[in-house]
Amino acid sequence: MSKITLENVSYVYGEGTPFEMHALRDVSFSIRENAVTGLIGHTGSGKSTLVQLFNGLTRPMAGRVLLDGADIWEKPKQIKQIRFRVGLVMQYPEYQLFEETVRADIAFGPKNMGLPADEIEARVREAAELVGLDEALLDHSPFDLSGGEKRRVAIAGIIAMRPEVLVLDEPAAGLDPRGRDRILTQVREYQRRSGATVVIVSHSMEDMARFCDDIVVLARGELVMQGKTDEVFAHADRLAQVGLNIPEISRVCAMLRARGIPMDEGIFTVDAAARCLERLLGATDGEGASTR
Amino acid sequence: MKGIALGQYYPSGSVLHRLDPRMKVIIAVLYIVTTFLAKNVTAFALLLVSMLLLIAVSRIPLRIVLSGIKPVLMIMLFTMVINLFFVGGERLLFEWKFIRIYVEGLYQAAFMAIRIVVLIVGTSMLLTYTTTPIMLTDALERLLAPLRVLHVPVHEFAMMMTIALRFIPTLMEETEKIMAAQKARGADFTSGSLVSRAKALIPILIPLFVSAFRRADDLATAMECRCYHGGKGRTRMTVLHFHLGDFVALTVFVALGAGLILANRYGFGFSM
Repeated sequence: MSKITLENVSYVYGEGTPFEMHALRDVSFSIRENAVTGLIGHTGSGKSTLVQLFNGLTRPMAGRVLLDGADIWEKPKQIKQIRFRVGLVMQYPEYQLFEETVRADIAFGPKNMGLPADEIEARVREAAELVGLDEALLDHSPFDLSGGEKRRVAIAGIIAMRPEVLVLDEPAAGLDPRGRDRILTQVREYQRRSGATVVIVSHSMEDMARFCDDIVVLARGELVMQGKTDEVFAHADRLAQVGLNIPEISRVCAMLRARGIPMDEGIFTVDAAARCLERLLGATDGEGASTR
Repeated sequence: MKGIALGQYYPSGSVLHRLDPRMKVIIAVLYIVTTFLAKNVTAFALLLVSMLLLIAVSRIPLRIVLSGIKPVLMIMLFTMVINLFFVGGERLLFEWKFIRIYVEGLYQAAFMAIRIVVLIVGTSMLLTYTTTPIMLTDALERLLAPLRVLHVPVHEFAMMMTIALRFIPTLMEETEKIMAAQKARGADFTSGSLVSRAKALIPILIPLFVSAFRRADDLATAMECRCYHGGKGRTRMTVLHFHLGDFVALTVFVALGAGLILANRYGFGFSM
């Protein structure tokens, strides 16, 4: 059921110097298999440190990270295999592109896995198609592409490894609304098609509400809340305490409720709000007709 | 990596941290000269005591100070061994086959070791540990200002140094990030032959260069947007002023130098 489990994980930067900083303090939670989990928290809450623990880029100073129930640091020499199983797309991944062609760049991961050439080619095409990159772009230099296209090439580079878990650190940061929707939809699509487990780090509540099944909330390196998206967003006060807001539309609904309009509880997306309003308006229309 | 990124600066808020950086540069030069003045046991003892006092005043943990000496430990041992075995003299201490150690050699080796330690610790206590790199370049710019008469572009050099220093941590952080990103794609920097390891650097160096050029371009634009046109007519946000403490510090170090000269003349012990 749970794909990744963290047990009492702690991480400290610059231990023993005046610059010592506790990035994570005794954090425990688990990430559900075949689901999209959102990781939210303020800047400096430890999100980025946390994602690097998932694929063994950093080793926890205390506690364990379990993948399918096995400690990923059991055989430190084989940590590379873990990195192929847990694909991590870092923040602003477009800055890691380096090859001469888009094709070669996407192939870097699969090549490191030691796959045969025809398999690599097939995976490159598949990954490019998944993130919506045109075939013609495959032979271009990645440095000639637009920002959004570069970002998609970088994500395709990870997807081409076909990881069981796909972790994305702020995949939509710095993109325009259309770009961010596109990327998040594609990630959701990848999850649906491959049955992989997906973790998205973000601080956009709107995105989280729309794309995630589960939510994990962090603040100052500690776990604040974890649960299904609607359960977590139901605790608006607790979120506000750690400097996070529920989605705008949920606040609008709450305000409408306060003025006596019977909006449903647990509305986190504009679509759901529209449906609810439509239903309410339909009901009043009907009443109007009967009194006339 | 994180440690290097922050430089050696160690904020402990001591008196040394508060001294005017210009005065610290002057005092450091003075102190270096002083270490070379010492000639006999009394003078070297005085030097050693002054260094210990300096460490105490700086309030920097001994552990950090010792780790600063580590890089020169090999050079120190080497000079000590050379001095021990090859300095001739009159009083033979030990003889075995072709190896002869004289008392003079022993003293010489000890003096050399003390001199190196005092040089390293003294300058780092006065400069690197207690002064931020930016303050240091600022101080150098001010101290070298008279060279402008000779058409030396002092301000431009200082600005270049400031920018370089400013971007060291940024580039380090960037390197770390890129390395992590490539490791996440299964890149391996630690195993394989020399050639394959050199090749493994390509995925780091190319993105690093690209981002360095991008940053340089952004910075140039940002500076131009704020009408930067070099040092001419530029005023400063923080104007340095010498305070009483700065002169007291200078006096102390001049006194130390004078003390050493006196120790050389009237002190006792082996003299080189």
